[in-house]
Amino acid sequence: MQEELYIAFENYLNNEMTSEEKVDFENKLQNQESFKKQFELYKETTQFLEVKFSNDTIDFKENLKSISKDHFSDTNKKKSKVISLQSKWFAIAATLVVFVGVWFMNSGGNPTYSDFNQHENANFTERGSVIKDLKAAQEAFNDKNYEKAIPLFEKVLEEYKRPEIEFYYGISLLEVNKTAQAEVVFNNLKDGKSVYNQKATWYLALTKLKVEDFEACKTYLKEISSDSEDFEKAQELLNELD
Amino acid sequence: MTSKILHHDQMYIDGLLNNNSSIIESIYKKFAPKVTYYIKMNSGSADEAQDVIQEVIITIYNQAKTKGLELTCPFDAYFFLLCKRKWLNELKKSYNKEVTIKDENVSIDKDVEKLAIETEEQDEKQSLFDEMFQKLGEKCQEVLKLSFVTKTMEEVASKMNVTYAYVRKKKSICTGQLTELIQQSNRYQSIKY
Repeated sequence: MQEELYIAFENYLNNEMTSEEKVDFENKLQNQESFKKQFELYKETTQFLEVKFSNDTIDFKENLKSISKDHFSDTNKKKSKVISLQSKWFAIAATLVVFVGVWFMNSGGNPTYSDFNQHENANFTERGSVIKDLKAAQEAFNDKNYEKAIPLFEKVLEEYKRPEIEFYYGISLLEVNKTAQAEVVFNNLKDGKSVYNQKATWYLALTKLKVEDFEACKTYLKEISSDSEDFEKAQELLNELD
Repeated sequence: MTSKILHHDQMYIDGLLNNNSSIIESIYKKFAPKVTYYIKMNSGSADEAQDVIQEVIITIYNQAKTKGLELTCPFDAYFFLLCKRKWLNELKKSYNKEVTIKDENVSIDKDVEKLAIETEEQDEKQSLFDEMFQKLGEKCQEVLKLSFVTKTMEEVASKMNVTYAYVRKKKSICTGQLTELIQQSNRYQSIKY
C-alpha cells in the first residue's frame, strides 16, 4: 500500500501519469489533508536529495574549501607558504641564481624559465576511488619526477576532473617541454571559475618564457592583477624583460 | 509571492549559487575578519572561526538552492549574526569551555534577525535530512545517490546492473522510507512545518 503511494508520488513529480491518474491524484491532494502532507514531505525530501547530490553542490563545496584554506593560511601565517627544509635551501640557491642572473642580464641577456620555475608542492585532499593514483601522482610531482606524474594525473583526470589536479598536471607538462599541451591546460583554467584562473595566467607567461616568446610572455604578465599572489614575481619578470 | 525590496548585496547570494570564485573570495576578504575577531575574543581559535564561517556559507548556499533566498538586508549583518549565533551554540554544547561573552551593545535589526532565523530553521531541517539519510540501508543510499548524481535513470540501471523498472521502483520506495524516518524522529516534531 505504502509502496504504491510512493510510486504514485514519484510518477506525479516526474509528470509520468495518464491524464485520468493525474486528475484523480490532484483531487486527493485537495481533499485529503494527510495525503497532501505526505506528498509535501516526499517532494521536499526529493528536493533535498537533488541539492545534496547535485554536481553544482559538490563543485561548490570543493571550491569553498580551497578558498577558505587559502584565506586562512594567508592571514594566519602572513603569507608564509608551507616550504619544506629542502626547498628552503633551494630557495636560497635560487635567490643566488637570480642575483647572478641579474648581474648577467645587466649586460644584455634575457631571463630564463629556470629562474622562475619554483612550484608549490601539491597537497591533495580528495577521497574515493581515485585516491591511490592521485597520491602517487602527488608524490611523483613533489619529487619533481614529472615523467612519472603525467600518466598518473591523466588517469585521475579521466574520471575526476578538478581544477587543482589540472593545474599540477599542466605544470608537469611544462616541465617536460610538452609546452603546447601545457598551454591548452592553462588556458582552460584561465577561462574557468576556479581559484586557479590567476595562477594559470602566471603559468601561461612561464610557458611563453620557456619557448622564448617574450612578447606573448609580457602580455600575460600584464594581465596578472595586483591582488594576485603572483603579482610580485610577475612585476620582477616584466622588469627584466623590458 | 510578495514582492520584497531586494538589497543590492543579493549579488553575494547569487555569487554563491553560481560558484563564482571571486565573489566567494570577496566574502572572505570583507566579512571573515570581523567574525574571526569576534570568535577569538570569545574563547575560540582561528581554526574554529574557519569552520564556523565555512559551515555558515554552506548553510546560506543550501537555503538559496532549495528554497531561494531573497536578501532584504545587508549581507554583512546577516552573515555576522548567523556566524555569531552558530558560535554561541557551539560554546553551549561544550561544557568545558568557560564562556564569557564579550559583546558590543548593539541592537539587532528586526529584518536581519527574521532572515537569520529562517535560515537557521532551514539548516535544522537540512541536518535532520542528512542524519536520517545515514540511517537508510546501504542499498537505498546507493540508489538515491546514483539517481541524483547520474543524468538518467537508464544510466543508473546500467551502472547497477539491474532493470530500469527496478531502479524506478526502488528510488520511490527509498525516498518514501526516508520520509518515514524523518517523520518518526523526535526532532521532526519540534521543527515547524
